[in-house]
Amino acid sequence: MTFLLTNKKNPEDRHPFVDQLEQLWRNKTAVAGMVVIALFVLTALLAPFLSPHDPVDAALYDQLKPPIWTKAGSTNNLLGTDDLGRDILSRLIYGARVSLLVAVVTVGIGVLFGSLLGAVSGYYKGFLDTIIMRFMDILLAFPHILLAIVIMAYMGPGLRNAMIAIGIVYIPRFARIIRASVLEEHEKDYVIASKAIGAKDWRIIFAAILPNCLAPLIVQTTLGFASAILDAAALGFLGLGAQPPTPEWGAMIAMGRSHILRAWWVMTFPGIAILLAVLGFNLFGDGLRDALDPRLRD
Amino acid sequence: MIRKVGLILCGLILMFAVTACEKKEPEKKTEEPAPTATKEGGTLVFGRGGDSVGLDPAYETDGNSFMICDNIYEALIFYQDESTALEPGLAESWDISPDGKTYTFYLRKGVKFHDGTPFNADAVVFSIGRMMKERKLKFFSMEWDVPPQERPPEYWVSMEMDDTVDSIEAVDDYTVVFKLKRVDAPFLANMGMDFADIISPTAFMNNPKEFLRNPVGTGPFKFVEWVKDDKIVLEKNENYWDTSGGPYLDKLIFRTIPENSVRFLELKAGNIHICQFPNPADIPLAKEDPNLKLVSQPGMNIGYLSFNYTKSLWQNIHMRRAIAFAINRQAIVDNIYQGMGQVAKNPIPPTMWGYNDKIEDFPYDPEKAKLELAEGGYPGGADLPEITLWSMPVPRPYNPEGLKVGVAMISDLAKVGIRAKIVSYDWGTYLKRQREQPKDMDLFQLGWTGDNGDPDNFLAVLFDGLASPAIRTQWKNEEYHKLMLEGKQTIDQAKRAEIYMRALQVFHDEVAAICVAHSTVIWPMRNNVMNFKLHPTASVRMKNVRLE
Repeated sequence: MTFLLTNKKNPEDRHPFVDQLEQLWRNKTAVAGMVVIALFVLTALLAPFLSPHDPVDAALYDQLKPPIWTKAGSTNNLLGTDDLGRDILSRLIYGARVSLLVAVVTVGIGVLFGSLLGAVSGYYKGFLDTIIMRFMDILLAFPHILLAIVIMAYMGPGLRNAMIAIGIVYIPRFARIIRASVLEEHEKDYVIASKAIGAKDWRIIFAAILPNCLAPLIVQTTLGFASAILDAAALGFLGLGAQPPTPEWGAMIAMGRSHILRAWWVMTFPGIAILLAVLGFNLFGDGLRDALDPRLRD
Repeated sequence: MIRKVGLILCGLILMFAVTACEKKEPEKKTEEPAPTATKEGGTLVFGRGGDSVGLDPAYETDGNSFMICDNIYEALIFYQDESTALEPGLAESWDISPDGKTYTFYLRKGVKFHDGTPFNADAVVFSIGRMMKERKLKFFSMEWDVPPQERPPEYWVSMEMDDTVDSIEAVDDYTVVFKLKRVDAPFLANMGMDFADIISPTAFMNNPKEFLRNPVGTGPFKFVEWVKDDKIVLEKNENYWDTSGGPYLDKLIFRTIPENSVRFLELKAGNIHICQFPNPADIPLAKEDPNLKLVSQPGMNIGYLSFNYTKSLWQNIHMRRAIAFAINRQAIVDNIYQGMGQVAKNPIPPTMWGYNDKIEDFPYDPEKAKLELAEGGYPGGADLPEITLWSMPVPRPYNPEGLKVGVAMISDLAKVGIRAKIVSYDWGTYLKRQREQPKDMDLFQLGWTGDNGDPDNFLAVLFDGLASPAIRTQWKNEEYHKLMLEGKQTIDQAKRAEIYMRALQVFHDEVAAICVAHSTVIWPMRNNVMNFKLHPTASVRMKNVRLE
């Protein structure tokens, strides 16, 4: 791999992967991020077992009950209820599912199409490169939430469309990273060797070059999860993402905002949930970069 | 690192920006003078959610345009202050021929438009006549060449007035005769609606295209200026014909403040005197504030849930009944309308004649709903595909929060085994697509605020699907349709009331739609505003209002 070739420290006795893992482990903030992510994923997977109530069951006469530690709080609703009497804790737990789904699907779309476009563009260069990358530049020139809103306006609101829209927005950032790596790898000896023995283009791209571009891709993917969660929440807040009654964190904030003066808990808890999830992915992503990028190593 | 901080900041901003918006105290004082403490005169500032579209009453359709027209123009017939009972307006009296097809109006003398043009029979022929497709008009002293219509006069068209009015003639300076093609019982009440306001013909002829921005009528207030999306200013008409009461205010300003909570804070700060459509959640805050008082009026409206009758599923009455039993409407009124309303059992409000109090409402009864579901062919709801419930994205007078009502409804439906999901579009798209009765629509929420206090204005316009494909609930029932026609063509109100009661019974037996609620309109205002009354038609009249 890239760093394998440049890293001359302990070339014989240690696999670089062990090295990187150790480096990651020493980074306390990255570990903290990892813990948050683990909790987040576990919550999402075990939602039906963890949540005390049905997240969409409206108990109208129990609306706006405060959290347990306040005077009027009750053990029935640990974090209180929203304006339709739904249990906020249960909605947060199910909301983790929605956020995780959005993060995986959108980043998946971005990585898939981004890598493909970036690899093709970096490998063949020339006219094709110019066309693809100028198009990517156009996409990048839009503020990304605005671009997502434009796409949603065309496709209509809903969680599925929101994921497609955010996914499209993420394509250029992956395309650029992969293209840069491919351009760099393209001139390396192993690629020239592959060519010399007559490997086909697609084989060189997918079997030889792409595996060597993984490091920056992994870092970008982790950070991408964070911004995907944030973008999905923003679209949900604007009413374009998940439609009611889907428990989605951004939509929960939007629903709670008209009650902020009387019932602070309705929008505060989903806000904290978004904050923690995004923070977790960002800390972990930064730690990964420190560990994987040879230029940033001690 | 910088990006990371940025992202975290974004998260924080998402959380608190909204709070900040809500809390934003209006620091800047408006340039308008502060409320003065005189008994007469003064400037009243009215805060509202949206700007007017135009000020030519014949062409407008929205409440924000009509509320300005209410104060600039007058019609032949007036509605009373707090009801839709009729009283003489610009017409002092009228005769109706025995066959019900000729209406003769005797006009008030000595009335002048704001531009000095005298009000007379020709002005009436001109104002109403310009809306007709085939203009069979006769003027008495003037001979105007009425300019062609810029766009269709929507109210006139949707009320099928071209099928009703045959000709309009000025017999002398103060007598106008309307000849009708058919008997139309609500005709007199219709002549009190905003679209039938009388405008100054000379002002209109000066510049027909700009009239909607330079309105001239006979009303208690004169138009001064319009700053788009900001304010409309009116001033007192010193020469108002009725000298027995108002207008008392020197100046009247309608300010546009789109955000409900910001508008309410402006009221609390004293920058506006009356706040239209506050958030239901802000009403308790208004009650606590010693500087504010509330005015309320049971609205002449209905919020309903109806069915897509193009689908065979909903032609099945058991399915309709199942939905009716499954939904807890009382809980919706108590908690989402915040008590500002009452559960409806008829599609017309209880204050209206023709209301059928004998009807026994569907109780909230999940067990009965399950039985009906089984009889409808879906025991336990097992084989029923997921249905859609269209919910309105905007607050309306008859339904403060359509999405929340929808969420509560599907939660109720889930309890009897019916799986449903919410569908919503922006308001324009919602109205347009609803009319197409698309396959992906099963249930839909809508509502209506009455225009003239006549049951025909609810029952025929909303539910008689056989009358026209434009009727939003395409419920087609022969008996109901016949009753609607009979109601239109009967003059005697007692007889008509009976007809409509029978129609309401058919409506109930067939579960044509589920009547959810009649909402109560509550607006907060400053303590010093005297004599402001809400009207059932949602018109805003400032003639008798004064500031203490």
